[in-house]
Amino acid sequence: MTSFIQSYLGTGFGWFVAHLVYILLIALPLMLAVAMIIYADRKIWAAMALRRGPNVVGPLGLLQSFADGLKVFLQETIIPSAANKGLFLLAPIITFTVALMAWAVIPFDAGLVLADINVGLLYILAISSLGVYGVIISGWASNSKYPFFSAMRASAQMISYEVSIGFVLISVILWSGSFNLSTIVMTQKGYYGDWLGGLGLNGHAFNPLLFPMAIVFFISALAETARAPFDLTEAESELVAGYQTEYSSMSFALFWLGEYANVILMCALNAILFWGGYLPPIDWAPLYYVPGIIWLFAKILFFFFVFSWVKATVPRYRYDQLMRLGWKIFLPLSLFFVFLVSGFLMLTRYGAAG
Amino acid sequence: MPKVKVDGIEIEVPAGATVLQACEMAGKEIPRFCYHERLSIAGNCRMCLVEVKPGPPKPQASCALPAADNQEIFTASEMVKKAREGVMEFLLINHPLDCPICDQGGECDLQDQSVAYGRGHSRYDENKRAVTEKYMGPIVKTVMTRCIQCTRCVRFAEEVAGVPEIGAIYRGENMQITTYLEHAAKSELSGNVVDLCPVGALTSKPYAFEARSWELKKTLAIDVMDAVGTNIRVDSRGRQVLRVLPRINDDVNEEWASDKTRHAVDGLVRKRLDKPYIRKGGKLVAVTWGEAFEAIAKAAKGAGNSVAAIAGDQLDCETMFAARELVHSLGGSMLEGRQGGLFYDTSSLSAVNFNSTIAGIETADAILLVGTNLRWEAPLINTRVRKAIKKGAKVFAIGPEIDQSYKVTWLGNDASLLTKLPAEIVDQFKSAHRPALIMGGGALGLEGAQGAGLAAIETLGLIRDGWNGFNVLHMAAARMGGLMLGYATDGGVKAIAEASPKLLFLMGADDVPFDLFGESFKVYVGHHGDKGAHAADVILPGAAYTEKAGTYVNTEGRVQRGDKAVFAPGDAREDWTILRALSDVLGKTLPFDSFEGLRTAMYAAVPALAQEGLVDYGWTAPKLAGKPKAVEIPSPIKDFYLTNAICRASPTMQRCSAELLHGEDFAEAAE
Amino acid sequence: MSLAHIIKSYTLWEFVKAHWLTLKYFFKPKATINYPYEKNPISPRFRGEHALRRYPNGEERCIACKLCEAICPAQAITIEAQPRDDGSRRTTRYDIDMVKCIYCGFCQEACPVDAIVEGPNFEFATETREELIYDKSKLLANGDKWERAIAANLAADAPYR
Repeated sequence: MTSFIQSYLGTGFGWFVAHLVYILLIALPLMLAVAMIIYADRKIWAAMALRRGPNVVGPLGLLQSFADGLKVFLQETIIPSAANKGLFLLAPIITFTVALMAWAVIPFDAGLVLADINVGLLYILAISSLGVYGVIISGWASNSKYPFFSAMRASAQMISYEVSIGFVLISVILWSGSFNLSTIVMTQKGYYGDWLGGLGLNGHAFNPLLFPMAIVFFISALAETARAPFDLTEAESELVAGYQTEYSSMSFALFWLGEYANVILMCALNAILFWGGYLPPIDWAPLYYVPGIIWLFAKILFFFFVFSWVKATVPRYRYDQLMRLGWKIFLPLSLFFVFLVSGFLMLTRYGAAG
Repeated sequence: MPKVKVDGIEIEVPAGATVLQACEMAGKEIPRFCYHERLSIAGNCRMCLVEVKPGPPKPQASCALPAADNQEIFTASEMVKKAREGVMEFLLINHPLDCPICDQGGECDLQDQSVAYGRGHSRYDENKRAVTEKYMGPIVKTVMTRCIQCTRCVRFAEEVAGVPEIGAIYRGENMQITTYLEHAAKSELSGNVVDLCPVGALTSKPYAFEARSWELKKTLAIDVMDAVGTNIRVDSRGRQVLRVLPRINDDVNEEWASDKTRHAVDGLVRKRLDKPYIRKGGKLVAVTWGEAFEAIAKAAKGAGNSVAAIAGDQLDCETMFAARELVHSLGGSMLEGRQGGLFYDTSSLSAVNFNSTIAGIETADAILLVGTNLRWEAPLINTRVRKAIKKGAKVFAIGPEIDQSYKVTWLGNDASLLTKLPAEIVDQFKSAHRPALIMGGGALGLEGAQGAGLAAIETLGLIRDGWNGFNVLHMAAARMGGLMLGYATDGGVKAIAEASPKLLFLMGADDVPFDLFGESFKVYVGHHGDKGAHAADVILPGAAYTEKAGTYVNTEGRVQRGDKAVFAPGDAREDWTILRALSDVLGKTLPFDSFEGLRTAMYAAVPALAQEGLVDYGWTAPKLAGKPKAVEIPSPIKDFYLTNAICRASPTMQRCSAELLHGEDFAEAAE
Repeated sequence: MSLAHIIKSYTLWEFVKAHWLTLKYFFKPKATINYPYEKNPISPRFRGEHALRRYPNGEERCIACKLCEAICPAQAITIEAQPRDDGSRRTTRYDIDMVKCIYCGFCQEACPVDAIVEGPNFEFATETREELIYDKSKLLANGDKWERAIAANLAADAPYR
């Protein structure tokens, strides 16, 4: 498509317009997806609590999120008089923007990626680290106790779990031998294909050395996005609404959108890093007729279901338990698996990098 | 002194006591309906049945059974319990179950006693008796179906009020209580039958359906409608006084109150002054307190020390004291409380006091009434005189002939009679043990009458060992207090008018001859838009007697204090605070900032006011000219029901006046 | 620590079990009803919005006995009474502060003439608090509106009183 547009608008400008179109093609459906996923989230919790969930606005309540959005949009933006106005308004924008930026390197299908860069995973790490700024700035700029406590909790939590996420990713990178997400996906193709008569499994998670890492990554993803059972930043019994306490109207909605965009991103990363991304789960030719993007979306949706499932099942951790899990279990565990994976790779000379 | 045993408790009772009284002395409660301490014993309700040994093997009515030596009385035995249940059941046979719409509900003897002594359920299926309503006048509402024929009202009307107009007709189940020919009961004390009625047969007409007893705030206060100083309980809800009931004080009002005391209170919410006014171009215009004070300050500047205060009839001592201090601080000295123009010598307060005391007058055995309509001037003293007559006293009277509700020997309506009493009467007084003379307001104002009255002390021998029979009956609640505070100018109001003060404070004074004060700048401090307010140049809205705490001295020199029941309406304030604030504007700040401070200052100035109870003035009689001219003694009260601003604003009092005194027929309207 | 315990904790067995449970519940029929479109049946004794009833001839039942006012533990009821022109005892004011009311039902228990009742209506939310201060006309209107339901409820409950 790029070349098609370039043929009309010239190389440089054509490229610019084409990528603008790509960005919109990712961002707009993503927004829509966030709206629907919030609806799905509520429906899933409701079902597990034997409730009905939203079912009034639109058919089956499908338009509930849009109604909520409209309501939030029409509300007054309240800026506390003691708040730092500039930062106060900047914080949700950072959270929202950062959540969208990471999507630039996500491969939706073979070759279907906005920026097919070789340091894709590093980029993701960098961007997700930026997310903590939105939270910290909002907590500080609100000039209120609860948001401030919440911001401190959130930053400590996110940093702690990024450490183990980093080590988990190292295991994956070592195995795949690349930072490029498309390459990582492709290296997951056909596990045990020789033994299973060509019907191999697509996904690092089927590797016994990486499966525990997949679990650790999933749990860390929960913590990273501050979802239950790690939603201590919004522990309403302790901190009112956490760093969002002073927010209202659209500034609140941006936090909301950003959070869910992050959740979807984490689901996507789970799918891409461990479960074969846009590959079908089984390396069997007929399955490849289904477009890769469908497989990816199916996996994202499945992980989102698990996210909601966890939220509906597990009670909230205590903060010290959260820290203990992050630093005393996940960190040594992932370090140990880095040692195991790298040792295994060194001994077997597996992979092209060797 | 018989000794009896009540439920095993041995006590000694005074001779002549009944078994019921003996039980009460032993601390046992005996239920009763017809029995009342201040009425004769009827013994017809049978509720007070007790078991008495020795005696017939049946329960006996304790109210009518004299206590005798060695009696054994049982108040809680099985027989008594059964008897009470039985009596209760009989009483309830014909009593309707309309407690929810009955005004007595919540303070009903029948309700209470049926809960305490009744069976708890009814076995009666037949139709109940119904009785038509009887008209009893503007004060008493009747629902005769509820009547249990205790005849308390009949006995009260006959024995205490002295108007035997209430009685019972027919017999047995058909017995009905009614007034004579269903006319209104013409008594100043008719309201008391409402209190006496143990059920809801007689209830208060003006108070009908107004409130329940449990929602009322009860405040103890002193009545200001006459100089008796009736002890009252003010029942209020929110900011409104709903009713006034008498409190028991055997020295003053026993447990009665006049209709005016009870029912003038609906005037407290009508025609009230609730903001300050200034007369501008002949018309009164509502202004702020500041503007009103400025106007007074302007007048005070030109007035110099030409300042006077006239106190009304219903003022408390605190207000009068504050006004006195204000007048004094401005350099004035003219104070007067006898607003109507009455004048008499006040050099000795004991000589204008009710010396034999209100309770004491009922022990008198010869009474001379001089120019007083006792029944209107002090209905409760009239009941005492009735009691004295019952004990054998003779009553003579000089003055206009009226129905005093008892037998009076009228000597004629001539003031000069005082100096030339018939010899036989003088002899009767001389031979009496406790002779008494009561001088009323009608006589006091006549020239020489006061001196003649004092001279009669000698001729009739009114002062004996431990007995002082010389009594002056005042008509205003504020009078004795005012005299103690120096509210008396030689020559009275007329003398003040002649001095023509530039600034005149009318402290709730409504009956002043205002045309005499044309030159004065008149400041009216009071609560009702009555005559005083109409004549005033500036009106400062004050508090009525239920809206301020106050000290009152009654006609016998008894210092009593009342509490504040409700707040004054609108912008109106307690009088002393008005005077205190005004003194600030005038630059003569009064030396008290709180009510306690005011009282302390007042006690320092007049120590007698500090002690509640009778003031000892010490007997001295001034030497006065005692040659009254041969003139008719006027009636000091023209209309019992409309004597002051509160009464005049009260629809109930107006109706009483129209119906009972002027003969208008309201019987139809009541139905 | 037993071996079983170790295996259980390393396989996150408790979590797996818990998730299995919630997954089962995910497919169970819903316990809630679809409220504004479906409603639960309510007891004849249900204590909802207040109403002042009338007799069949249109005469208001309330006789201003003030027993409800007296018993109201929240002091939500204010009554003022006066003789009506025909001499009967009636209220001139009957206010219930529905914000104060705790819906204990004492008022209807106290009422000797079944005038004040708590009807079956529970859907009387308002947009302002002022609207929740009911006066006599509002209560009588409620009575007229709900009379059939109230009468049916009273009749249904009568054998148990």
